[in-house]
Amino acid sequence: MRVGFFLGEAIGSMRRNWVMAMAAVITVFVSTAILGAVLVTQGNLEKGATSLKNRVVIEVFIKDEASQKAVKALENKIAAIPEVKEYEYISKEEALERFRKRFDERIVDNLNVNPLPASYEIQVKDANQVDMVARQFFNEPTVDNDPGTHNGVKYARETVRRMLGTIRIVGWGMWVATGVFALAAVLLISTTVRLSIFARRREVEIMRLVGATNWFIRWPFVLEGFITGLLGALLAVGFVYASNWALANWLKSSSIDFLDVDVINLIWQDAVWPLGLLPTLVILGAVLGAIGSLLALRRYLKT
Amino acid sequence: MIVFEDVTKIYDPNVVGLQDFTCHIGKGEFVFLVGASGSGKSTLIKLVLKELRPDTGRILVAGRNLGTLRHSKVPLLRRNIGCVFQDFKLLPNKTVYDNVGYALEVVGEPRKSIRRKVPEILSLVGLSEKTNSYPHEISGGEQQRVSVARAFVNHPPLLLADEPTGNIDPETAVGIMQLLVRINRTGTTVLVATHDRDMVNRMRRRVLQLDTGRLVRDEHRGGYDQVAASEEEGA
Repeated sequence: MRVGFFLGEAIGSMRRNWVMAMAAVITVFVSTAILGAVLVTQGNLEKGATSLKNRVVIEVFIKDEASQKAVKALENKIAAIPEVKEYEYISKEEALERFRKRFDERIVDNLNVNPLPASYEIQVKDANQVDMVARQFFNEPTVDNDPGTHNGVKYARETVRRMLGTIRIVGWGMWVATGVFALAAVLLISTTVRLSIFARRREVEIMRLVGATNWFIRWPFVLEGFITGLLGALLAVGFVYASNWALANWLKSSSIDFLDVDVINLIWQDAVWPLGLLPTLVILGAVLGAIGSLLALRRYLKT
Repeated sequence: MIVFEDVTKIYDPNVVGLQDFTCHIGKGEFVFLVGASGSGKSTLIKLVLKELRPDTGRILVAGRNLGTLRHSKVPLLRRNIGCVFQDFKLLPNKTVYDNVGYALEVVGEPRKSIRRKVPEILSLVGLSEKTNSYPHEISGGEQQRVSVARAFVNHPPLLLADEPTGNIDPETAVGIMQLLVRINRTGTTVLVATHDRDMVNRMRRRVLQLDTGRLVRDEHRGGYDQVAASEEEGA
């Protein structure tokens, strides 16, 4: 195979038809950028949701008069629950210290006794399990039954329920949007490639008359589609990366830093994108361009 | 070189392309194909190139039976047939040099011999100065000479010309015809479909005349019109 000749033909034809080539590159760029933006947003939302879920904490308050033994028993009980991810003992002193930091120090300084109970802060593995874990402490004798809290067990029950529901709906919405934009990208790219080949169908006819084999005709077109897709997708990925980077920085410096937007992970591998999201998009663009050319040529290569 | 045996080609809504057409064209012949528009000249040329398939009958080109020729071998057939068309069919985005070179690239000719052969053939057709021009930058006659150069650069055993002088002025047409004659002298069989009465009458070559798909005359050293020829004989 004459790689040099075919590559020369492909690049030469892109240079001579640069308006068409640019239009195709821009089409790939726009559609891939939109798709990429949707996917990155989805990834970020998912991450944000996970970090929100991880923040769901159950506070179990301990009666002041509880014995060391009883507290130890409570701890053993917590440790034995398989859904618990981690837990931490907060002593009365620590609780006061936190209060002092969070609120006005003077209030605390005026107190003679420490009114705050000791507690265990429990994080569960899955936010969906919060309710189930919390219920296990409702009737615990060691737990402080202060009215206003659920039997001394405090957790954002309604909030968690609503949050999980919202996350689920947003997640579905994002997948639908991804599907729609992926389809749009495929259609747009293949239409553009088909148009550019339609504009050159006479060329294909002449090549055949001169005795070119079908693959001899195909290779330059396929390479051209590949290069077009590659260029467009590279631009798109650069654009998506840059805007994600800017957004992440802005979020980190703003008050909603709990969303925990991560730039690097989108580039490198994770479970959903074994090759990394952005490299996958580049490959997708290039392959779509090549396959689009191949399919569009089919009708002009029939006898 | 070309054998047609009882070939019939009917286009879809009952339009006759060729009907019961039989003829033999020998190696090294120079043959004119004449007839009104729609008489089947282009059909015949397309059949030889296997651009069309006949409904019935047998076609042999250079010993190959086109009916049994595999699809994948069609490009090989076409490399043995040089083609010149009324509308030149040059690649618009390639220079004169690359247009001619393309026919050599197609057959896998090494770059080195392409660099030798293309200038050679361009000087033969008198276009050495236009090597790097694009088709739209040169005249119709020059474009047709590029097309002839491309058709002949592989030295094919057969050259087909479909109205090669149809789009150019009479003086330039004479030049093109002379080129075809020169090519014929190298042993290449030349088949020219034409409307050019003067040219045919002047050259006195074998003439095949078609009328609505039927062969109505096959005359050696013939003229364009049967009438004119028979009148000559009668007088």
